[in-house]
Amino acid sequence: MRLLVVEDYRPLRESLAKGLRETGFAVDATGDGKEGLWYAMGNEYDVIILDLMLPGMNGLEILKKVRSEDQKACVLILTAKDTVQDRVAGLDLGADDYLVKPFAFEELLARIRALLRRGYQEKSPCVEIDDLRIDLAAQRVWRGPEEIQLTPREYALLEYLAMRAGQTVSRMDIWEHVYEFNSSASSNVVDVYIGYLRKKIERADKSALIHTSRGRGYMLGAKS
Amino acid sequence: MMRSLRTRLLAGIIGGMVLLLTIFSLLLYVMIARALVNQFDASLASIAQILATSVERDEDQVEMDLAVQQRPELQNSGQPTYYELRRLDGTVIAKSPLLGARDLPRFEDPGKMPVFTMLQNPDGKSLRAIGLTFVPRNADREGEQATAQPTGGESLALAVARDATDLQRQLRSLRWLLTVASSVVTGLSVLIGTVIVGRGLRPLRLIAAEIAAINADDLTARIEAEHAPAEAVPIKDRLNELLSRLEASFNRERQFNADVAHELRTPLAGIRSTIEVALTRKRDSVEYRAALSDCLEIAAGMQSVVNSLLMLARLDARQITFKTEEIRLAELVNNYWRPLADRAYERQIVLQNDIGPEVTFPLDREHLSMILANLLDNAVEYANERGHIWTAARRFGNSVEITISNTGCQLTAEQIAHVFDFFWRGDSSRLGTGTHCGLGLALVQRLVRALGGGVTAELQQDGIFAVQLIFPIRP
Repeated sequence: MRLLVVEDYRPLRESLAKGLRETGFAVDATGDGKEGLWYAMGNEYDVIILDLMLPGMNGLEILKKVRSEDQKACVLILTAKDTVQDRVAGLDLGADDYLVKPFAFEELLARIRALLRRGYQEKSPCVEIDDLRIDLAAQRVWRGPEEIQLTPREYALLEYLAMRAGQTVSRMDIWEHVYEFNSSASSNVVDVYIGYLRKKIERADKSALIHTSRGRGYMLGAKS
Repeated sequence: MMRSLRTRLLAGIIGGMVLLLTIFSLLLYVMIARALVNQFDASLASIAQILATSVERDEDQVEMDLAVQQRPELQNSGQPTYYELRRLDGTVIAKSPLLGARDLPRFEDPGKMPVFTMLQNPDGKSLRAIGLTFVPRNADREGEQATAQPTGGESLALAVARDATDLQRQLRSLRWLLTVASSVVTGLSVLIGTVIVGRGLRPLRLIAAEIAAINADDLTARIEAEHAPAEAVPIKDRLNELLSRLEASFNRERQFNADVAHELRTPLAGIRSTIEVALTRKRDSVEYRAALSDCLEIAAGMQSVVNSLLMLARLDARQITFKTEEIRLAELVNNYWRPLADRAYERQIVLQNDIGPEVTFPLDREHLSMILANLLDNAVEYANERGHIWTAARRFGNSVEITISNTGCQLTAEQIAHVFDFFWRGDSSRLGTGTHCGLGLALVQRLVRALGGGVTAELQQDGIFAVQLIFPIRP
């Protein structure tokens, strides 16, 4: 899942980006309002974490532009402004959530997960495909009774495929949602990670879960 | 006791009424009494005149006309009139039979003019008497008309007195009437005055009730007092102005507190997030060290905000003492430039210190240093890369003028007007790590004012931002 962090206070921006990356998100981060808008318009983010008081361009203006361009990203406003009017203004302009600084990092993660589920119309924090079970909150994966250990990047890839289970997802989409804007991964990195993931979750005695549509992409799901 | 407006007004009205009534009643009494007494005296005088003309001298005999003596007013009637005719030596020639053995008192040398006086009858009744002297006419022996003009001879004294009980009673009733009327009018005026004063002061009570209803939490309320009298309108207006000022200052205070909270929340979020992320997993010492040094940097930023806030609070509370000493300005500027030199060098910003060694003056070193450090720091922060910073100073008369300017100002002239506001930043955001939280110039302004000086900021040509300080110097 790919996130954008627009926060001008450098120490906070850096620690957020670091923590979110370690959780398995692909994170782009910037401290400038105009640059933030440019990032948001040019990429497909799942969640944008937006400060309100920004140099260059105000957070609410960014939100307005993002919404007027019909960008689907969920927006979480992260600000020190805590009055009811501020919250109402932010939510009314199309923000999906509002979190006041200072906050617990755990809570931010939980809210991001909730937004992701909402974005993919998934209400339950648990996704089950055949006998593959993904706990989105705990970021744990089981195949049958056996728990599978995944690296954050592998988990992110699986989660993205699970959110769109039953649909063919293109390599480009995967690239856009799992990798960061300026990551230097090579073009076949998606295929390589799909390979890793297959090795960990597929079982010889069970039906395949990850399917390749030649020239189109990948699909997670039990083949009917 | 006289603190109450109501009591004062009532006392004034009633006191005035009583005084006026008393004066009026006295005047009325004197006038009526005089008229009554005059009337009484006139009738007494006319009887005396008749009696006097009825007295005839025949040779040595002096006689009073009998017909006159029989006049009804000289008889025993409800209001008897007494007379007594004497020679000047005191021997009685004739007197009213009603007097019996008594005599009317003698007037002391009544002279020619009639004299009136009040007498006391032995039976306790008041008498009013007239005394006059006259020369009786001579009887005409041949039955001719007596000459009207007295032809000389011995003068006689005539005293006529009449019972004045009625007069006294009339005067008494008049006094009583006036006293009762005055008391009634005074009583009524107390009643009417109380009502009028009460109604007159009602708008004040209404305004007081409106003021009492204003809640300290909601200063948007104003005193309406729609039907307030013209005299109360200025009070109402002044109170409303006071409320407006209070509201504005409360709002400023509220905004300031919100800004302070905001300014401390963001770095707090930074510390918390840095620590929480560091604790999510086991890390090597390099990573922990990085997290700790980030936290330290944030803490330093917060400390500077808190220091500025404390300084502002002390300035507001006038808890700061100043110590005047001789300042060599060029040297002071160089001292405070030194810690900034590295940052300026990185961005190739050049300082041109045009202050000559001759610019010296007595002022508080500590607070002037704070001002200069803030302004120089600001100049380095906001000057463009390869920009310029100038410092200049001159003394004229009893003041010194210091100018610090830098290139690369992005602000509009309208924005310049706000640079001294609390928490105001050109781009509505903080920069870097919170050392520029929008308190620096606000603090400078308050420090300069505390030193008795003034500070202005202006946008000059080519994006040059100039701050000018003027301090009065006591020779």
